[in-house]
Amino acid sequence: MNEIRMDMIFSHSSDVVSREIDGALIIVPLASGVGDMEDDLFSMNETGTEIWNMLDGKKTVQEVVKALAQQYRAEPAEIEQDVAGIVTELLKRRMLVEATAA
Amino acid sequence: MSKRPPREYQRPAMQKSGLSLSGKALIELMQAVHTKGLPFRFNAGGHSMAPFIRDGDVICVSPLASRAPGPGDVVAFIHPETKLLCLHRVLSAHGDRFLIQGDNMPEEPDGMIPRETILGRVTRVERAGKKVRLGLGPERFLLALLSRCGLLAVIRRYAGPLYACFSRSHVSCEKR
Repeated sequence: MNEIRMDMIFSHSSDVVSREIDGALIIVPLASGVGDMEDDLFSMNETGTEIWNMLDGKKTVQEVVKALAQQYRAEPAEIEQDVAGIVTELLKRRMLVEATAA
Repeated sequence: MSKRPPREYQRPAMQKSGLSLSGKALIELMQAVHTKGLPFRFNAGGHSMAPFIRDGDVICVSPLASRAPGPGDVVAFIHPETKLLCLHRVLSAHGDRFLIQGDNMPEEPDGMIPRETILGRVTRVERAGKKVRLGLGPERFLLALLSRCGLLAVIRRYAGPLYACFSRSHVSCEKR
């Protein structure tokens, strides 16, 4: 996917499991058919965790950006760029899928 | 005057965690993976299942699915006292409760463990990148019987050379 549009909706891939454990989000890829602690295990910082939680198959990217802009001291343009960046990375790692809007 | 958002912004970031999970975190992730019907692979720690599972072995725990644990199976369960993840062998089944004990812990049986605290069955053990062949195959029935009769420890004590041979491909229990 080349460009993340603000009207896009994403949800978590079925090829991952994620859990917030002691305040930290842990994402386990299952692409190999195994939940493998010896392989790649990912964690997110606080902002990344909030974005991950909002990518629920219902909110558009724009809505995610707007929600973050209401919570943080940052320019919406900066947040928009960062959200697009993290979404791109998650898509690259097959942790997100584009969801069809209802 | 507009109201300022209250929190400092931190750019979102994701990284390979590099975490060494243990305890509750390990249990939660295992349960999460098992809900997908998939096995969970992780690094074991401890010596209570030596020599069939050793400290540092890579363990694969599969969900129980429809088959209940049986004698000889090595299962992952939440220890009733410590609440930690434990990998020990089922010695006998009594309905929905199982007599469980570590192969290397003859003096410390886990007692009767209810099925609901059993997370899965150990289906593979790897050591130094190679599959460990002893401990999970048909010989598991004999190991459970010997352990239940208290003979596994005796054999370990007196059959040193044979045991040393076994220990090339052994087990360990893990409380993490």
